[in-house]
Amino acid sequence: MRVEKCYFCSGPCYPGHGTMFVRNDSKTFRFCRSKCHKNFKMKRNPRKVRWTKAFRKAAGKEMTIDSTFEFEKRRNVPVRYDRNLIATTVKAMKRVQEIRAKRERAFYKNRMSGNKDREREENARLIQTNIELVGANTVKNKPQVVKILTQEVKKMEVDE
Amino acid sequence: MGRLRRSRTHHGIRDTSRAMRTRAFSKMLDQVHEDLKPENAAKLASQPVDADLPGLGQHYCITCAKHFTTSMALSEHYRGKVHKRRLKQLKDEPYTQKEAEAAVGLTTDNGKRGVRVLKEANMEVETV
Repeated sequence: MRVEKCYFCSGPCYPGHGTMFVRNDSKTFRFCRSKCHKNFKMKRNPRKVRWTKAFRKAAGKEMTIDSTFEFEKRRNVPVRYDRNLIATTVKAMKRVQEIRAKRERAFYKNRMSGNKDREREENARLIQTNIELVGANTVKNKPQVVKILTQEVKKMEVDE
Repeated sequence: MGRLRRSRTHHGIRDTSRAMRTRAFSKMLDQVHEDLKPENAAKLASQPVDADLPGLGQHYCITCAKHFTTSMALSEHYRGKVHKRRLKQLKDEPYTQKEAEAAVGLTTDNGKRGVRVLKEANMEVETV
């Protein structure tokens, strides 16, 4: 029994789940679910489909270079069963998972940092350029407009 | 703001489910990559006469894996959009299962053959 990786999305294919396609040159393709199979039949390139791991890795959306990736490897070398070795390996697996989760969180945070500021700036710019569209007379918008205008003035002063 | 969807993705293609059945599967890009290798390409360029194929199997486009009836039709195909799109697709390396596995960080490490490699992994964990 083995948990294979999906050809399309790189997710795990558990036994009894998904489909395997065998091409007429005997090459096999495993799919974790019908969504992946359908996308494969549509001849889509997983590198260009946004929700696949292949895309996310290629586009720098996820951590690629990390020492925690050095542990999970396909080692085609048989190792004699050893109770202690298995125990320590299981312990190590849990620890590595913890560390990787932590680093992934940090990576995500770092990737998303600065988004808020950029958005705020963009919004301010949008209002600034289309100020005539803002109903300045309405009570609701007034303080907002004043705030933005003063912000702009302050910025200019700082620049000077 | 998110990414805007590419426009003009619908071409009025109906009955897609029938078109993409696996039993009528045309050659995939990685197979064509294999075909384009000089030794295979030479074989495909000069095929024996086969009465079952369009144009007796004499006018074959390797990149599109398609037979044409006449040399005229073939040369017309070479000028077309479909062929050019295919050429563009063939420019980058074909996607493989290996790449799918590498994307989740699963690669092969056989180490040194015949040498018993004990898990240094455990020691490394302690240091991390």
